[in-house]
Amino acid sequence: MNKRNHTPRRKFRSKLTYHIMMMPGMVFLLIFSYIPMAGIIMAFQNYIPAKGLLHSKFVGLKHFKYMLTLPDITQVVVNTVTIALGKILLGTIMAIAFAILLNEIRIKVLKKWIQTIVYLPHFLSWVVLAAVIVNMFNLDGSVNLIITSLGLEKINFLGSNKWFQPLLVTTDVWKEFGYNSIVYLAAITSIDPGLHEAAAIDGAAWRKRIWHITLPGMLPIILLMAAMSLTSILSAGFDQIYNLYTPMVYQSGDVLDTYVYRIGLIGRQYSFATAVGLLKSFIGMVLMLSANGFSKKFTDRKIF
Amino acid sequence: MIENKSLDSRLRNVIIYTIVILLALICLLPLWNIVAISFSSSAAVTAQRVGLFPVQFTLAAYEKIMGDAQFRRSFGISVTRVVLALVINIILIVLMAYPLAKSSREFKGRNIYMNLLVFAMLFNGGMIPTYLVVKQLNLLNSIWSLILPGAVPIFSVILVMNFFVGVPKSLEEAAMIDGATPFQILFRVYVPVSKPSLATVALFSIVGSWNDFYSGLIYITKIKNYPVMTYIQSLSVNIEELLKAGMNSSSLESVTEVSNQNLNAAKIVVVVIPLLLIYPLLQRYLITGIVMGSVKE
Amino acid sequence: MRKDYLFKRIAITLSAVMILSLAGCSGNNAKSNADSSTAKNDGKTAGVTQEAQTADGPFGAYPEEITYTLGRQTIQNPKLPDGDTYENNAYTRYVKDRLNAVAVDAFEANGEDYDRQVSLAIASEDLPDIMKIGSKDILDELVENDMVEDLTDVYNTYASDYLKEIYDSYDGRSLSTATYDEKIMALPGTNVDSAPNEVWVRQDWLDKLGLKVDEDGNGMITVDELKNIAETFMEKDPGSSKNPVGISLAYWLSSNDYGGSTYCATGIANALGAYPKLWLKNTDGSVYYGSNTEENKKTLGVLADWFKEGILDPQFGTRTWDDITALLTNGQTGITFGVWHIPDWLLNNVRAMDKNATFSTYVIEGENGKANVFHNNASSGYIVVRKGYKHPELAVKISNLFYDELANTKTLEKDYPEVAKYQADGVDGSTRPFNVEINKYTSLLDDYSDIKKGVDGEIAIEDARTLESRNVIQNVKRYLENTATDDVTDWSKYHSRMKGIELIDKLTRENSFNWVEPVFWGTTETMKSNWANLQKLEEETFIKIVTGSVPLNDFDKYVKDWNDQGGSQIISEIEATIK
Repeated sequence: MNKRNHTPRRKFRSKLTYHIMMMPGMVFLLIFSYIPMAGIIMAFQNYIPAKGLLHSKFVGLKHFKYMLTLPDITQVVVNTVTIALGKILLGTIMAIAFAILLNEIRIKVLKKWIQTIVYLPHFLSWVVLAAVIVNMFNLDGSVNLIITSLGLEKINFLGSNKWFQPLLVTTDVWKEFGYNSIVYLAAITSIDPGLHEAAAIDGAAWRKRIWHITLPGMLPIILLMAAMSLTSILSAGFDQIYNLYTPMVYQSGDVLDTYVYRIGLIGRQYSFATAVGLLKSFIGMVLMLSANGFSKKFTDRKIF
Repeated sequence: MIENKSLDSRLRNVIIYTIVILLALICLLPLWNIVAISFSSSAAVTAQRVGLFPVQFTLAAYEKIMGDAQFRRSFGISVTRVVLALVINIILIVLMAYPLAKSSREFKGRNIYMNLLVFAMLFNGGMIPTYLVVKQLNLLNSIWSLILPGAVPIFSVILVMNFFVGVPKSLEEAAMIDGATPFQILFRVYVPVSKPSLATVALFSIVGSWNDFYSGLIYITKIKNYPVMTYIQSLSVNIEELLKAGMNSSSLESVTEVSNQNLNAAKIVVVVIPLLLIYPLLQRYLITGIVMGSVKE
Repeated sequence: MRKDYLFKRIAITLSAVMILSLAGCSGNNAKSNADSSTAKNDGKTAGVTQEAQTADGPFGAYPEEITYTLGRQTIQNPKLPDGDTYENNAYTRYVKDRLNAVAVDAFEANGEDYDRQVSLAIASEDLPDIMKIGSKDILDELVENDMVEDLTDVYNTYASDYLKEIYDSYDGRSLSTATYDEKIMALPGTNVDSAPNEVWVRQDWLDKLGLKVDEDGNGMITVDELKNIAETFMEKDPGSSKNPVGISLAYWLSSNDYGGSTYCATGIANALGAYPKLWLKNTDGSVYYGSNTEENKKTLGVLADWFKEGILDPQFGTRTWDDITALLTNGQTGITFGVWHIPDWLLNNVRAMDKNATFSTYVIEGENGKANVFHNNASSGYIVVRKGYKHPELAVKISNLFYDELANTKTLEKDYPEVAKYQADGVDGSTRPFNVEINKYTSLLDDYSDIKKGVDGEIAIEDARTLESRNVIQNVKRYLENTATDDVTDWSKYHSRMKGIELIDKLTRENSFNWVEPVFWGTTETMKSNWANLQKLEEETFIKIVTGSVPLNDFDKYVKDWNDQGGSQIISEIEATIK
């Protein structure tokens, strides 16, 4: 038995098996991802559903050029990137920190309950949450009650261009940190407990163990998650913003997706939406490839 | 010295417990509010008088849901869908993650597959072309139209692949020496030691298919076949839009009757419950560090 | 090697699928399995105009059963009895019974989701035999690409006299929106004028404070009177809310349709001679945008003053729809704006919370002593027939059934008890095959006249023309017998009809309306690319002006920017269209 292992035939067979393993998934991707990608052509057409992809007129880069000439495009892109980056950074830090802290909870029942509770907000849609948030943050809301009871001026969170972005970032982090921490918890559990035991015997302080054992152990997953979230740098969270913003805070809260949505409301402009989507995907790809290269260079580990 | 240390760690524990419990409370409040709303009278909710406790307590909303045959039917459709999608997703994830976890030296073509995957994750053809494919395959209005387009959750494949990479080579080598085929290695070695990560992606799959309402809106053309989240979504009403679209007064009356916020709240509570039940089930696998334990055995 | 071969085969098969699916197979190989009809009778050739039960008349049944596929725009709560569906209900059975035609739903969806299904059906070149479409844009696209049947002949031949009368009552304003090169390409749903934007005021509060409003009794109050009421309500807080708000408005400030003008300042603008968000024509024939006029600047000035004085909600700009409803329901504000039917579905919440609540309604009087109002778009939704469908006349026949026969029959209970029960139980009209209204221009006031006569005892309840009117008469009578009733529906119907429509009736009788006719409702080429931006500019500027974060005179700069950023271009496009 043992001897057959390393024969070339055996190796060939296992490689063939790898391809066979990939096959079912690839077929699904081919049918439901790659074939529909023909639709990307729309970005370069004046697509009209009645004419179809074959007969719609080609317009080259018109939609991309148009996007760049929109009067508020700079402001909108800056808003998008600021909000998205804020969410990515704070969200990631918060999720990791929470996972580490939760891992310290030794009372099993408590741990279970807390974990279940913090992942709850993830399941509530922004339509529902927006109502709750508006109630909490408007001028008569509970947050302002607390603020005035501290002797401070009321803050119009929902109507102030100074406060709207922080509000978006905070509420999004609040909604998602519990759910996002799940994957980090899985990462922590896959760290060899032996390492911790050895360190504990060495008398290493808790903080040191987190810093030298837990975090490095989580690093591959952290890098993966960070790289993944970078791809959404131009998507600042449509549902959330759409349900919370008003023209009063367009200046700070209007992002690419909301802008494109409003443009699309008039005359069903599939081509324009596709063009914007394509551009977003392209930038996402560049960022992800850079993250991969970065990771390879500094940690000697590819993300994918 | 020793006393100091334990005092230190006790203080640390107090701080950690406080922070974690506080965070949990902050997460609980809005849902608590929604539960309170679901048990309050419609007028009290419209007047925004409901905080953490029901006002004018009533079970009317729940009675209405239980009496809604379509809601029950849609709920069943969603359960079926989640189960089917979970099975397909996990099989495909595991099958793809394993070869991809090999180095490109061990598995030639690995990088090509990987790039194809990443590309498919980032780019998509949009709603219309995907609809046309689903329609050509005659899947419209079938539960498979909700499952098959998302059969390969690419992100989960990459995630599990990353966990597989971390599985000690010694395990695989030992199995190889015993003459195991790649399939046997995958299912007898990798899968058992990767329960936390598999539980994680299983959770993603369940949550994803349970929460997804959008594909239902596109691929399901008969309301009676809607999954529950699509059904709920289709019941949500934007009065301003309806008014602008010129809806007549009697339709508005019917519509506002079900757009009651307390009814919506009750629906949310009912559809979140299954997810609350699922989590503790999976948690068994999420919490303990199985990987290393099994290495030692 | 084998692997490669396999892969190739899969690739070939799949690219075939791809080409098939994406080419959108132009031929449209008559996929409509539905019209498997064997009806040899095409119908077009006949030309019998008499409204008899002949096979070919407006109500003629098909000799052999046919099926037709439908695109159905549904609503959230149709109130269908158990077992009935959109596809198979009393109305579709009624069509089967009368015309021998069976409905099969090609797709169903609510509201905006329905529009998406329509677009997908168009993209896949697989239209249902008959469907409703929501917007003129889609109709344009379908006509341009020759995807829908010309209905001119079938309309002329099959439309019942009454159906034609209905369309004629709009002086062509409705049918013309579906007419292309003299050809009728769709049956438009009609949209009755629902002007004006009424001011609803808490009458119980006025009584409590002894405040007299509209002392000359012409149904009109001035802007100053309105301000005075708001001030008094603020000061005295008759709702004992401790946090009164004078007037709360939605941030979009106005709508181009009275139905949509709830929580809007449309009434104030109209009174000041402004018609925001509408395209209007000067006497010299040039087109202008109603938001950009001096009159509208004046409106914003008034609102800005009110905001400064605290009469307008200090949270104006961020208040959501639900927030404003809550202010009303909570008794924080007692003044609001909206179309005649808001008591039925919005103000009923106020009554449910406060058993004493009653409302009075007024219109804001212009400086000309009139109530300035504009005509709604006369069309709302269109019924189209797929190109190549064998029985295009079916669309007209079904319309005859629902908008003529059902509207006029006196013997519904006897002939179609099932349909009568639907109407009595309030099953929603969207369960009819076509979810549009086709009503006479005067139908609102005609129905009201029935209701009024019924309430006054001038006619017997059974003599009211529609079942809905009969129901309303009973509601109103019950309310009048006991105005302290716990039945919110009785209260609502009383308020919507005897206050809301009564005001319209009164203003019409006393000739107090000054009508303005908008000239354009569609979308031009430049609007497609620039409108979202112009709208943003408008909404942002107006909110800033009202809340005082920019001075009123910034309005002039806004108008200039608006014109520069595509507005002038749009105006010239509209001028070219309507010439």
